[in-house]
Amino acid sequence: MSKETIRISGMTCAACAQRVQKAVGKIDGVINASVNFATEKLSVEFDEAAVNIPVIKDAVEQAGYGVIEDSKFNQVTIPIGGMTCAACSQRVEKAIEKLEGVSKVSVNLATEKATVEYDSQVIRLSAIKQCIEKTGYQALELDKNTVDEDKIRKEKEIKTLWTKFIVASVFGLPLLYFAMVPMVSWWPFPIPKALNPMVFPLRFALLQISLVIPIIVAGYKFYTIGFKALIQRSPNMDSLVAIGTSAAILYSIFNTYQIISGNFGAVEGLYYETAGVIIALILLGKSLEAVSKGKTSEAIKKLMGLAPKTAIVIEDGKEIEVPIDEVEIGNVILVKPGDKIPVDGVVLEGTTSVDEAMLTGESMPVDKKTGDKVFAASINKNGMIKFKATKVGSDTALAQIIKLVEDAQGSKAPIAQMADIVSGYFVPIVCSIALLAFLAWLIAGEPLAFAVTIFISVLVIACPCALGLATPTAIMVGTGKGAENGILIKGGEALETTHKINTIVFDKTGTITEGKPEVTDIVPVEGVQSRRLLQIAASGEKGSEHPLGEAIVRGAEKESLEILKVEQFEAIPGHGIEVVIEGIKVLIGNKKLMDDRQISLESLRETSDRLAGEGKTPMYIAMDGNISGIIAVADVVKESSAKAIKKLQEMGIEVAMITGDNRKTAEAIAKQVGIDRVLAEVLPQDKSNEVKKLQGEGKKVCMVGDGINDAPALVQADIGIAIGSGTDVAMESADIVLMRSDLMDVPTAIKLSKSTIRNIKQNLFWAFGYNVAGIPIAAGILHLFGGPLLNPIFAAAAMAFSSVSVVSNALRLKRFKAYK
Amino acid sequence: MIKKLLLSALSITAILSLTACNKLDVVGDQSIKSFDAVVNILGDQVTEDTEFGGWSLASPDGGARFLWSEDYSKTTSNDVQLVVKAQPFIDAGLDVTKLPEGVLVGEDLILGTELGKDALTYSGDATPLSSYEQIVKLYRDNISYHAALDHYGVKLSNGNMFEWAKDMTTNDKDIVFVLNPDIFINAGVDTSKVEGWVFAQVETMDDNGKKITVDKFLKPFELDGQSAEK
Repeated sequence: MSKETIRISGMTCAACAQRVQKAVGKIDGVINASVNFATEKLSVEFDEAAVNIPVIKDAVEQAGYGVIEDSKFNQVTIPIGGMTCAACSQRVEKAIEKLEGVSKVSVNLATEKATVEYDSQVIRLSAIKQCIEKTGYQALELDKNTVDEDKIRKEKEIKTLWTKFIVASVFGLPLLYFAMVPMVSWWPFPIPKALNPMVFPLRFALLQISLVIPIIVAGYKFYTIGFKALIQRSPNMDSLVAIGTSAAILYSIFNTYQIISGNFGAVEGLYYETAGVIIALILLGKSLEAVSKGKTSEAIKKLMGLAPKTAIVIEDGKEIEVPIDEVEIGNVILVKPGDKIPVDGVVLEGTTSVDEAMLTGESMPVDKKTGDKVFAASINKNGMIKFKATKVGSDTALAQIIKLVEDAQGSKAPIAQMADIVSGYFVPIVCSIALLAFLAWLIAGEPLAFAVTIFISVLVIACPCALGLATPTAIMVGTGKGAENGILIKGGEALETTHKINTIVFDKTGTITEGKPEVTDIVPVEGVQSRRLLQIAASGEKGSEHPLGEAIVRGAEKESLEILKVEQFEAIPGHGIEVVIEGIKVLIGNKKLMDDRQISLESLRETSDRLAGEGKTPMYIAMDGNISGIIAVADVVKESSAKAIKKLQEMGIEVAMITGDNRKTAEAIAKQVGIDRVLAEVLPQDKSNEVKKLQGEGKKVCMVGDGINDAPALVQADIGIAIGSGTDVAMESADIVLMRSDLMDVPTAIKLSKSTIRNIKQNLFWAFGYNVAGIPIAAGILHLFGGPLLNPIFAAAAMAFSSVSVVSNALRLKRFKAYK
Repeated sequence: MIKKLLLSALSITAILSLTACNKLDVVGDQSIKSFDAVVNILGDQVTEDTEFGGWSLASPDGGARFLWSEDYSKTTSNDVQLVVKAQPFIDAGLDVTKLPEGVLVGEDLILGTELGKDALTYSGDATPLSSYEQIVKLYRDNISYHAALDHYGVKLSNGNMFEWAKDMTTNDKDIVFVLNPDIFINAGVDTSKVEGWVFAQVETMDDNGKKITVDKFLKPFELDGQSAEK
């Protein structure tokens, strides 16, 4: 099974996206194909044994669209020093050309630069530079300006659209002027006498033809794509524009012929300006749409722009600045104050504080010392550190976040599927309505010109591009905004489901609490020393990853106790551990463990109750089948927990807490943060069952957790939210990942989801509204009751601005404010 | 894209060249044929008017005439004009003292315009049609097409016109004498009482190329003619 993302070009509306999706979806071996119109990407899941990428790309091209190839080759421009003549540049060129992996090289003596296209999988940039040096010249520092291919492509697309719009406007305005002046008596400016339609009708017609030709050339893609789609029985928005404007032009050409034949009254049946202005307006709409669409992905662009371009690597004691692509795992990297950390790693030397706001949204810098992890793109505030690179390239946390956000932005919310289905049927239905309206008016006795006007108006106003943009643009802005606030939403479905949540279950340890509990009480039974009890317990928990175990180990370390050798170790999930130390069989765990092993806790019942009542977790220690004492561990409640829970309750969401801890401890914590419903003493494997039970009550459940043991519950819940400080498994299982440990991000995520879904609904309302209201008006329903007829030009304007208004509405989400 | 721009530039140049070409004057060309048909069907009612220095096309009821010059250098005042009987207007309340100077000449009202001072030359003898062709050739702006009535017309300035059907077989108004009623209304004429003239609102296009609806006195005639179209 393989999953690939392919960039598609030439799609103009949701119907195009549907068409590509259908074309790819029906290939044998393709399991799932999903096209996002807003990002212009096809996500395809396929069986490699049955089908390959070239076949899928062929299918896309067969459907009439383009595939944008991501070049495996990098292009770089290396400034070269020391070249004095053409022979020098020739020499350098030949030398580089011979290198394996170099596909193209061009050395320019005038600019003293070599432009090299190379396969980064085969050769590294440093090798090319070495080759230049070996030839006897200096490979100077690279230009800092790196090329963002996608950005350039988008900018080019916007520029092309604007140019086409300008061409269409330059010719469209005079065309509109000549066509409309006879109609607008209050307009003070005349038509030149030589072009008066009643005196020189053929001149008037030919002038209009000469003005409409460049407009058609500017909008030729509507025809090439639109008619191709029509021939393939899969009409799209371009088909509507192509049919509508072609009808106008053909009717006008017919009337021009009539003028030539002496029927000068046909001068009143010229609609060249309708076709011209429709194309100009749609080009304007497309240009504005392209600009706005670019803004919807600004968040991801911001993230991409965060990584520094170079790193200072320490090699043989020397500081060498290398491009970020050349940093390898294990390299020791120096980061000076104020610089960005180039890749992920572990601090080897030095202390500093690091601003990780761009990754976590947390504004307070985090202190870093030897052994601490640092992340690419975070800013080293004050100290100088050396760290070892542990993750580079696409493995860094930043790259992972970018991929996660990109994937989310490319995914579809269930609400989008509905819009897709509708837009798939929309165009053929609109064509039918246009034809029916045309025939109906003709049969009703209206002149051909009237029926043609109706036909054009219906086709032009009903373009479904606003429908196709309604959901993806809102999801792009919504997920992008989430990422800016340290909330990574993994997909459109998660974003949509989150707004329906009515119950939230919080894991206690590490989620509501800091997850770094401390030993608070050591209560040995008679005959056992406190220090001995702590030493035995800490020795047993030494290898434990459980926060309570870690607390006991830290407690022993504080007391400078020697950790004893563990002879046997067995973890009993949800209960504790069983170990053998110095030949003593030791049980460390909760009450359940002791009960299972029939160890009486009677002598400690009172103490245990008291500790639990104080919100402390009593850990029982038994040696050779007898209870030896309790070590109480307490976790600190996070500063934001109570506030976040209150906010959620204000939002009408029921909040519950789930924990493996005993009921009393759990209830004490729950009381502190204001939670009424407590699911205590729940074994890890049962957490998902508890979630299931809540779902059985008809609730939409969100689980918030951080540990490996939370993963099944995160998956079971309708929405799983993992705390960023938690484990990778939890983050992989979750639908939403919070980069910070601040629980206020939970209500923020829900608020963001609600805002996004509201925005999508508004977009859909407007997109449908334009069409639902526009089609009957364009079909002449008002005219039936003595009202006005919709001019096709106004239909085109309405259609063009429907897309712009939908994208603009989605951009309003950028003003979203997180709860503080 | 460059190819497409080049192609469209060539097309535009070709079309604009055509636009400038006189051969594209379909209205002018066709109007000559229609005018010829009208002249032919009127027969004796189209005569030479030596006093005026041109040709006279009289209405079947004799109440109006359209005159056009044979040589603009010789006609003294108007090169094209309408001459209509004043009596029906006087009967409808016209105060002749309120008419602009030169309009009332004897028992007639004369309304027309000077086209130019050109000394016209003809390949053979001047005929009513060849003199009309000179108007088309030299003063084409004075020839128009009236879509609402499917008429050609000679503009006589101030909204006065002589119009004739493009195709007499399909039109019930084969020739129409058209007067701007303003000067008559200002001189006290009751527009509903002018015998032989119809007061009506007509949709037309002004000199600025704008569609307008104006009041006119019309004297239309059906000549039972034949089509001018070949």
